[in-house]
Amino acid sequence: MSLEPEINTKVSASGDVAPLTEGMSQGRLIWKRFLRNKVAMGSLVIFLAIVVLSLSASGVFGMQGWWKWKYNELVPLENGGAPTLSLIPEWLGGDGIHLGNHPFGQTLIGIDYFAMTMRGVQNSLIVMFIIGILSAVIGTVIGAIAGYYRGWVESALMRFTDLVIVIPVIVLGAVVGKIASEHFKGLGVIGLSIVLGLFLWTGLARLVRGEFLTLREREYVDAARVSGARDARIIFRHILPNAVGVVIVSTTLLMAAAILLETGLSFLGFGIRPPDVSLGLIISQNQNAFSTRPYLFIWPGVFIVAIALTVNFIGDGVRDAFDPRQSRFVARKMKEPADS
Amino acid sequence: MKFQRIVAPVSVAAVAAMLITGCTTTGDQPAAQTGGTVTVAEVNELTAFTSSTSASNLDMNGKFMGYTRSSFFYLDNKLNLIPDKSFGTVEKTSDDPLTVKYTLAKTATWSDGTPITADDMLLAWAAFSGFFNDASYDDDGNVTGGTAYFDYAGDTSGLALADRPVVGDDNMSITLTYSEPYADWSLINPIDAPIHVVADHAGVSQADLVNAIMTMPRGDAAAPAPVNDVLKKAADFWNTGFDATSLPTDKSLYLSSAAFVLDAWVPKESITLVRNKEYKGSLVPKIDKIVVRFIGDAQAQVTALKNGEVDIINPQASADTIKSLEAIKGVTTLTGDQFSYDHLDLTFNTGVFQNAPDLREAFLKTIPRQQILDAIVTPMNPNAEIYDSQLFFPGTDGYAETIKSNGASAFDKVDIDGAMAILNGRTPEVRILYNTKNPNRVAAFQAIQASAEQAGFKIIDAGAENWGSLLGSGTYDATIFGWISSGVGVGGVPQIFGSTGGGNYNGYSNAEVDSLANKLQTTLDKKAQDDIQVQIDKLLWSDFYGVPLFVAPGVMAHSNSVTGVVYYPGQAGVGWNFWEWAKK
Amino acid sequence: MVSFIARRLIVSVLLLLGAAFIMYQLTALSGDPLEEYYQSRLPNREQLMAARIERLQLNVPPPLRFFLWLGGAAKCVVPFIGACDLGQTAQGQPVLQLLPQAMNATLQLVTASTVLAIVVGLIVGIVSALRQYTTFDFVMTFISFLLFSLPSFWVGILLKEFIAIGFNDFLSDPIVSPLWIVIISLASGLIWLGLIGGDLRRRLMVFVISGAATAAVLTYFSVSDWFTHPSLGPVFMLLMAAGIGWVLTALMAGIKNRRALLTAGIQVAIAYVCYFALQGLLNISSIYTLLILGLITIAVAWLTGYLVGGPDRGVNIRVGIFTALLSAGLILIDRLMQAWPTYSNLSAINGRPIATVGSQTPGLVGDIWVQGVDSFTHLLLPTLTLMLISFAGLTRYARAGMLDVLSQDYIRTARAKGMPERVVIVRHAFRNSLIPIATIVASDFGALLGGAIITEQVFAFSGMGAMFQRGLTLPDPNPVMGYFVVIAISAIVFNFIADMTYSALDPRVRVRA
Repeated sequence: MSLEPEINTKVSASGDVAPLTEGMSQGRLIWKRFLRNKVAMGSLVIFLAIVVLSLSASGVFGMQGWWKWKYNELVPLENGGAPTLSLIPEWLGGDGIHLGNHPFGQTLIGIDYFAMTMRGVQNSLIVMFIIGILSAVIGTVIGAIAGYYRGWVESALMRFTDLVIVIPVIVLGAVVGKIASEHFKGLGVIGLSIVLGLFLWTGLARLVRGEFLTLREREYVDAARVSGARDARIIFRHILPNAVGVVIVSTTLLMAAAILLETGLSFLGFGIRPPDVSLGLIISQNQNAFSTRPYLFIWPGVFIVAIALTVNFIGDGVRDAFDPRQSRFVARKMKEPADS
Repeated sequence: MKFQRIVAPVSVAAVAAMLITGCTTTGDQPAAQTGGTVTVAEVNELTAFTSSTSASNLDMNGKFMGYTRSSFFYLDNKLNLIPDKSFGTVEKTSDDPLTVKYTLAKTATWSDGTPITADDMLLAWAAFSGFFNDASYDDDGNVTGGTAYFDYAGDTSGLALADRPVVGDDNMSITLTYSEPYADWSLINPIDAPIHVVADHAGVSQADLVNAIMTMPRGDAAAPAPVNDVLKKAADFWNTGFDATSLPTDKSLYLSSAAFVLDAWVPKESITLVRNKEYKGSLVPKIDKIVVRFIGDAQAQVTALKNGEVDIINPQASADTIKSLEAIKGVTTLTGDQFSYDHLDLTFNTGVFQNAPDLREAFLKTIPRQQILDAIVTPMNPNAEIYDSQLFFPGTDGYAETIKSNGASAFDKVDIDGAMAILNGRTPEVRILYNTKNPNRVAAFQAIQASAEQAGFKIIDAGAENWGSLLGSGTYDATIFGWISSGVGVGGVPQIFGSTGGGNYNGYSNAEVDSLANKLQTTLDKKAQDDIQVQIDKLLWSDFYGVPLFVAPGVMAHSNSVTGVVYYPGQAGVGWNFWEWAKK
Repeated sequence: MVSFIARRLIVSVLLLLGAAFIMYQLTALSGDPLEEYYQSRLPNREQLMAARIERLQLNVPPPLRFFLWLGGAAKCVVPFIGACDLGQTAQGQPVLQLLPQAMNATLQLVTASTVLAIVVGLIVGIVSALRQYTTFDFVMTFISFLLFSLPSFWVGILLKEFIAIGFNDFLSDPIVSPLWIVIISLASGLIWLGLIGGDLRRRLMVFVISGAATAAVLTYFSVSDWFTHPSLGPVFMLLMAAGIGWVLTALMAGIKNRRALLTAGIQVAIAYVCYFALQGLLNISSIYTLLILGLITIAVAWLTGYLVGGPDRGVNIRVGIFTALLSAGLILIDRLMQAWPTYSNLSAINGRPIATVGSQTPGLVGDIWVQGVDSFTHLLLPTLTLMLISFAGLTRYARAGMLDVLSQDYIRTARAKGMPERVVIVRHAFRNSLIPIATIVASDFGALLGGAIITEQVFAFSGMGAMFQRGLTLPDPNPVMGYFVVIAISAIVFNFIADMTYSALDPRVRVRA
């Protein structure tokens, strides 16, 4: 019992697409659609590359990374802290392609900037995933309960959601971020992102509730209810799988927004605190270096943009994959017979 | 026909509109003429036309007072008291009892033309001395009886030693006689708000107010007197009447007695100061106008200077700020020390260092002071040196003398072997409290931890965000934090190092230091004061009180189109010598 | 309806109270306001600490303190007693006095960028939708996602360095080098090519013509010192006014509607005459003069449209009014440009017009045109930075909304019955695609107010954001609450407006009465 028959009817209406979907589960169908989205796939590859690079370079779970310096280690300044990264090959008159000792240079006190940037990327990713997962779980549960049970439960939960929504995200984030660093400093990045995640689920809860309100009226839900299924079973086995698209899509977009939120908060001084680093924090610390040593300012920015951009494109791709109506691939297929 | 019916009203309306249009025109504006304007960037906005009340005791208000109020003296960049004889003279007429006479110059005038007289000084004395207050307080600071008149932000204890002033010289001088010697007497500047403005706004006559000040008995919290209405009204106005968030229509609220007077205030953005036509003193500026723009962000200040929007900036110092300022063409960067320093203190009344001078010595031997200096200060100030005194700032007279004898140089270099020899196999645990929000403190902690553990100490990270409220709680054995000081006067010494001082967080108690600190408070001669401080400094080092780490660096920068800007380490900020500024 | 509004109001007030309580507690818990005094060695530290405890009522626990604050704030709701009290800041300033100043600065910023974002966002989004899956669409999609992913402070700093300082440096020697002329011309050719589309021959033509035109204009600007003495000049003025008339007629009435075209033509002619005739009046105008002139413009346009007559006077009048207003706008822009050299040569500006901090040059003396240029040079960069936040989102929504509408049956019906494509797009599709946009714009306003916190810091714009940030840093709950009250009320009001607009525009949605 899933949306499968519906998709089949919808797509086969266009004539020649039906064979494509034959014998595929919904999940595979979506996956296949996603795979054919070049932009989203490219973004996914780049994103994974950034994840692997940052995790392996600075190490994770207490493991040592392959990069020789640590983000809080003072190293004697080499050549005034200038970056040693070279991308121009020797046969073009450059220095040849090599990383050197400090590819992104060093800060004035001698910390390797590549190590800092990688640690910042890692922290941004942690923030992103924790906020994403936490918001997805809380938002889905609250939205599902409100949408399924309706009545006073819905009113209570939704009014609570409205309560949090009244405060703009960045304002809430700033206040909550300051509290996190004041009272949960031992937890560091994780504490910050957990506390932020506890407040960012509201948009998702509204969407899920909307979805549940529609789905619970469907015939197959009635059928399940008549056949004596318990509420939990109906919610988790019958309705949720059909609402999962909404959850995944808005979670990806939320994750992209979460990265920017964290960088903004760190810039304002309410996010991650030194000696730990985040991309926003090191940009903010090095904004004065813009005219003298632009690499300190540009590199973390490039990584923020790269992460946010790829995650946005992945989210867009996921949306297209879940929503065949807007999908480019289906649209083209549907257009062809119409044009001819 | 139909056409005309429509056209007639429309054309009437159009003509009427044209007429109104004519009436709303403004005529040619005079061409803008601004010659000799200097624009200064400041971090905070003005909040009051006074800095004496507890609410208004903020840096920008103080700087504003510097531009618009004359004093008997000002502090130069070497912390010397420079008298301003064109405003008035200060004369110590007797040492025992300490008697000081303040005489105003005949030319001293408020910017509304009213001459400045002893009445104005009496008001300042009434406020600064707390003479009339007879309020008593409960533990929460609520008034339980009596009356608190003036809500003065400063320390009243010094002036409270003096009796009511004697007015003389045709109401142009006051004389203060102290019941016991007061070391910081030379820092008393008995001039504040204009008394005629306070009296006017309080709805009392100036004569009545002066009469109240001259006749009311000294307040006694044990036996509170009935409220004096005249004084109470005046004090109430003095306490809040000069607070402002925009330019008031009442010009008397921001009278000037110095070379500049406030002319315009765009809330949140800027204030404009123009020449005070009534000023007849000798600190005459070369420029016509000073604009102060409020720019909170250091980077925004630097860009604004680079873009020519401001001429002088005074941002928070950081290595990159200084580097980027140095890279801007046509800009001069001035760096120097500030009156604040980071230091490591050991706890004397609890924990591992209590009654254990050997452990204290061993621990101090492991502090990598040069390494900390190199990591934090050297990038900003390549000539920075280890700071070796608990009492004197580098560059002052006493500093050179004290470091000869105080024994601080024994701790300039890390001596792990020496520390191990003292520890002799022991591995004491040391909890170090510091501010985890401040990257400099974190760096210092990390360096100390690494070094001390080599000698066998077990360092426990007791750093906290709310470090401030933990001070003095006995939950740590050592602490790293900063002291911010005014750089002048000796009133702060017993506060920090006296057994019962309010800033003595580490339970330090040494009877000899206590008696020296008390003696210091009653010593009038600067040289003698320095001698006593040298002795205290030596005792502190031999008790292994702790070590100062470094003096915080500061930075100012100005466009080369302005000359005469000189670095200043104190709170008066870059405007301390505004009369020497000139625009090319 | 009335009961709906009443219920909505009550719920909103309760929400506001609840959120205010949460906000107050969070702020109060977020730090120790006395911290700065702990390291003070000044003799008066005890006095200052006691005074701050007293002023911020720190000995009252936060939950109770909230009700003290609420007691003062509640008086603001009671009319006519004027006892409104939002508390004091730690510096002893009444929050109520600070709020209007701060709101003023922030509203300037947010309004300008909202308007700009809506106009540009809608145009780009709709053109993207109409040119779906063309290069233009892909490029725009990429750009909007890119803007979506840029941290605004990063952009702000880059803009300051490159636009402000870079452009000001350029003005000291305003010659565009040939290399840049080539690069910019190529880029402009590509943009127009993407915008207009068509077959290969047409594309090539568009590319060559627009590229050549750009190169010619740039060279002319460079040679004639245009950058330091800008103006539209009689020729550009006429071309642009005529272009506006033509485009508006084409969009709103169709070029075949001769009477509408005539109305527009008359407006352009009047505007062109006024361009020469009104210069003297404009030189001495105040803001009210301009307002009245605006009203006269509308009246004249209405009259012309009416008199030209024809079967559909309404269309004439609409085309006339829009053409007249936009042409009048051109005259104003030209007049502002004329003030540019005067402004730029003021000693306070010193030839560096684009500002990086604040909202005005302190102590600037000049007529409204110089003041206008001053506002423009100060608002330009912060507005751009803030605009990026909502522009990207609006483009995406406008595109999606338009695509959604275009696939509806009634569009197919309209096309099938032979309606001109212009009518289908403008009258049927465009209007309906606006419905969801209305909601987005309203809820975006709240996000913009929040985003202003960062922008304000980068550009030293002391508005609401700065007030909030300073309050939270200490932490000092009263200014934070002042900020919160304004933000929360506007969020609630705008959401309410959004819902109302929605039900007004879309008959399918009716409020439950």
